[in-house]
Amino acid sequence: MAKKLKLKIITPEKLVFEEEVNQVTFPSTEGELTVLPDHIPLIAGLASGDVVAVTNGEHIPMAVAGGFVEVHPVRSLSRGGTAGASEHQTSNGVKEEKYTTEVVIMADFAEHVSELSEAAIEKAKARAEELRKQMENKEVVDYEHFAAELERSLTRVKISDKWRTKKYRK
Amino acid sequence: MQGTKEIKRRIKSVKSTKKITKAMELVAASKMKRAVASTLASRLYAEYSWEILQSIANNIEEINHPLFANPVRSPSRGGTADVSENQTSNGAGILLILITSNRGLCGAYNSQVIKKVLTLLKKERGATNIDFITIGKKGDVAMRRLGRKIIATFTELPTNISLSDVLPISKLAIQEYAAGNPSSAPPSPIATEGRGKATAGKYDKVLVAYTDFVSTMLQTANIKQVVPVSKTDLKELIYDLGRSPHLEVSPPSGGGGGKIDYLIEGDKNALLGSLAEKLLIEGDKNALLGSLAEKLVRMQIYQMLLESNASEQSARMVAMKNASDAAGEMIEDLTLVFNKARQAGITQEISEISAGMASVS
Repeated sequence: MAKKLKLKIITPEKLVFEEEVNQVTFPSTEGELTVLPDHIPLIAGLASGDVVAVTNGEHIPMAVAGGFVEVHPVRSLSRGGTAGASEHQTSNGVKEEKYTTEVVIMADFAEHVSELSEAAIEKAKARAEELRKQMENKEVVDYEHFAAELERSLTRVKISDKWRTKKYRK
Repeated sequence: MQGTKEIKRRIKSVKSTKKITKAMELVAASKMKRAVASTLASRLYAEYSWEILQSIANNIEEINHPLFANPVRSPSRGGTADVSENQTSNGAGILLILITSNRGLCGAYNSQVIKKVLTLLKKERGATNIDFITIGKKGDVAMRRLGRKIIATFTELPTNISLSDVLPISKLAIQEYAAGNPSSAPPSPIATEGRGKATAGKYDKVLVAYTDFVSTMLQTANIKQVVPVSKTDLKELIYDLGRSPHLEVSPPSGGGGGKIDYLIEGDKNALLGSLAEKLLIEGDKNALLGSLAEKLVRMQIYQMLLESNASEQSARMVAMKNASDAAGEMIEDLTLVFNKARQAGITQEISEISAGMASVS
């Protein structure tokens, strides 16, 4: 069985996504990164863009903005050897403990691409425009709020444009 | 019969008041459920951010980011510790974020947290300069009455607070804090002194006064430090989050339970320890740490806002329940008085009639 890794996408508001997948690609602050099972532990900053998880050849795209990615192994809880467990067999046949690679993406905001419907995108576009106009005469405090909103809207638009013609799993 | 009409009118008015308080109670109850649910939902994020902080801390010899209170550093400056301790409590100011509600009719919710702040003000009187960021009209009004300096007021937060609503608040808090701290002061004794001087007149701490939601019946006002981020405080917060009774009463549908089992402290730390040297950190460690600090501050403020919101709603619910109950009792009493008056009226009339009859015959 192909090795899998456990992907979690968490925002402060909720747990957006949790599933076992074959690989995951995300935009880090240093550039795009792809993580496969048994990746070494890693911490990276998350830029805005799309997280693409691949499972059984299907793509699952999520739009995200700002946060962190942590890759680390966790001890598998189930004894029976889940799909994600990587078994280390030593020479004398004693099984070592099993670890699953877990990828935790902590984003300020995350949405599945299919949630970004056409209407919502139009709204996001309009909102981005409106925010851009408003931003010019706003003070610092409001500016932060609007900057975050704007980035969100722009990410939404960009990512949904990108995935409009491609196939993905809903 | 005189008086019965008046009593009737009073009963009617109490009845309509009861209807209003009952409605408010129901509204508060449903809002509270939502607020409690969202406090739960942010728990997972809090736990993971703590974990990331831990693993970074294990990989960096020393955290010397201005946003972190460094527990490692304080023993190293040993001799100068007293001096700088005094300096911070004397010269530098505190920025206090006060979280209250916009509306009243919620029992002792606002007065509790304001009282807490007043005690702090009394204790620090003269010694420290405390400025405010107020969230909610009630706290704003109270602090203005005291003639405190309020550098910002947020009164138009929606009932369903989202993270982006917290962004301006946390950004402002960090900005105000950073204004007094020249960034990345190296942890040498000389620099510590320099930093002490630089912070004079500015803020060297950001505190948040909020209401901790313990249960529906019990909310406690609390003051906690959010900037600089101190690991022990943070740990406490997250620990509290996992331990609060309201979390046990209603386990989260998606995010909790068995999934966080592996976070069991001991064995996780052992695991982290064995992997510590292998951890790869992508990009600039300090930049990452800085943004982590910002996120932690924001997460904490968000969490406190949620707690406060849940507390407000439950305080209001309880207050309105009490009001409804009191109205019910009042109606009963008034009905009794009314019936007595009516009876007396009838008796009097009958006796008058029979007296008239007797005099005729």
